[in-house]
Amino acid sequence: MEYFHYVNIFETKGLEYILVIVFMITFVFFVRNLDAPLKKNGGARAGGQIPQLGDTIVVVKDKD
Amino acid sequence: MSTAVSVVPRQSVWQFILSELKPKGPIFTPFNVISVPTILAGLAIVVWRFAFGLGSVTNLTQDYPWGIWIGFDVMTGVAFAGGAYIITFTVYIMRAEKYKSLVRATVLNGFLSYLFYAGALFLDLGRPWHIINPIIGNSFGYNSILFLVSWHFMLYMMAEALEFSPVVAEWLGLERARKILHKLTLGTVIFGVVLSTLHQSGLGALYLFCKPKLHPLWYTEFLPVLFLVSSVFAGLSMIIFEGTISHRVFKTQIDPKKHHTFDDIVFGLSKGAAVVMYVYLFVKFVIFVHGQHWHFIMTGWGWLYILEVGGLVLLPCALFTHGYRQRRIGMVRLAAILTLLGIMFNRLNISVIAFNWQLPTRYYPSIGEIVVTLMVIFTEIWVFRWVVYRMPVLRETTEGNRKT
Repeated sequence: MEYFHYVNIFETKGLEYILVIVFMITFVFFVRNLDAPLKKNGGARAGGQIPQLGDTIVVVKDKD
Repeated sequence: MSTAVSVVPRQSVWQFILSELKPKGPIFTPFNVISVPTILAGLAIVVWRFAFGLGSVTNLTQDYPWGIWIGFDVMTGVAFAGGAYIITFTVYIMRAEKYKSLVRATVLNGFLSYLFYAGALFLDLGRPWHIINPIIGNSFGYNSILFLVSWHFMLYMMAEALEFSPVVAEWLGLERARKILHKLTLGTVIFGVVLSTLHQSGLGALYLFCKPKLHPLWYTEFLPVLFLVSSVFAGLSMIIFEGTISHRVFKTQIDPKKHHTFDDIVFGLSKGAAVVMYVYLFVKFVIFVHGQHWHFIMTGWGWLYILEVGGLVLLPCALFTHGYRQRRIGMVRLAAILTLLGIMFNRLNISVIAFNWQLPTRYYPSIGEIVVTLMVIFTEIWVFRWVVYRMPVLRETTEGNRKT
């Protein structure tokens, strides 16, 4: 077996642990961001629908 | 009391099939004008290949025994066909009824992809009559990954044929057979999904013994995992791409109400693709870090790698995400096209471009190889179109089928 070199795919160099933790945290945010409701003013449009005036212009009322 | 007498003459199955062979629609369309000469030229080259051997048609050598017939037809074609196992799993196992309208077209596309693209493997065998060996036991080769792949291809094609068989029975007006075949669907789907996960990864495993030949940026012990994960978003992108074209080309076959719901389905698929691509990118990054391949990045191979991972995985992932969030159908379609290009590029990098990267000689496909590849693609489209115009693949009613 002198020509056979066993490669231990589970051997890590330390950095991989940090990457996995970072991935898991960012993955949660990524999926939550996908499912998060869109802001009404953020330009969300149903396929091909023309935005209405009220969707893009916000009327700010006076506080008085 | 009088008995009603049917005035519709009963056609035999063979009479019906013969009548269905007649062309439907215009003959001289741009697609037909381009595809028919290509198919005829491809057939002539195939005859030449079997008469005078691989070397007479291809640029394959002992250094490059696998060319685009493997790299594109088999590797890429099978990844694109992954949509069938994804969508059947989603509909029949996860019970996501929303995607049910896609099942028949996707299964048909998957079945034809395996039949033609994996069938093209036959052309690439130096001694094609040996293809039967893993089946008949002349030389099983239990330790070979090709043994697994060949059995899986054969069994999966049977599973997909069974999944599609209720449509054929419906077309032929064989109601009893349709009911029996329909009852087999769930079991066939489970069988097909298990087979798919194994042979999609098995195709990647074929390259595990090529460590000295494959460039380190692409070689990894995780190739089977990467092939499996990438087949998921390749399949989803193929459904978006194929579905979008089908909704334009076969619009007369589809209920107008479904044209509106299709966009919603595409957004659902794009969300799935974005999530899986995110996972794939992470796996690629960890492999890159684990392999300590930083020094390769500033070479020509590094730029090729960046183009593949950055331009054709990261970019479409971002486009899928943004398109889904903003409900921009055009952006999602663009992402699907980029993803398909990325898969094609990845499979060709592994099997052809970055293979034997240290050798001074390079492999370039011959005109004959390119024409035969185009022949395979065009023939699959012809058969797909023939089936869709006749069988209830996109339409739900059985109107126009055999009168019984």
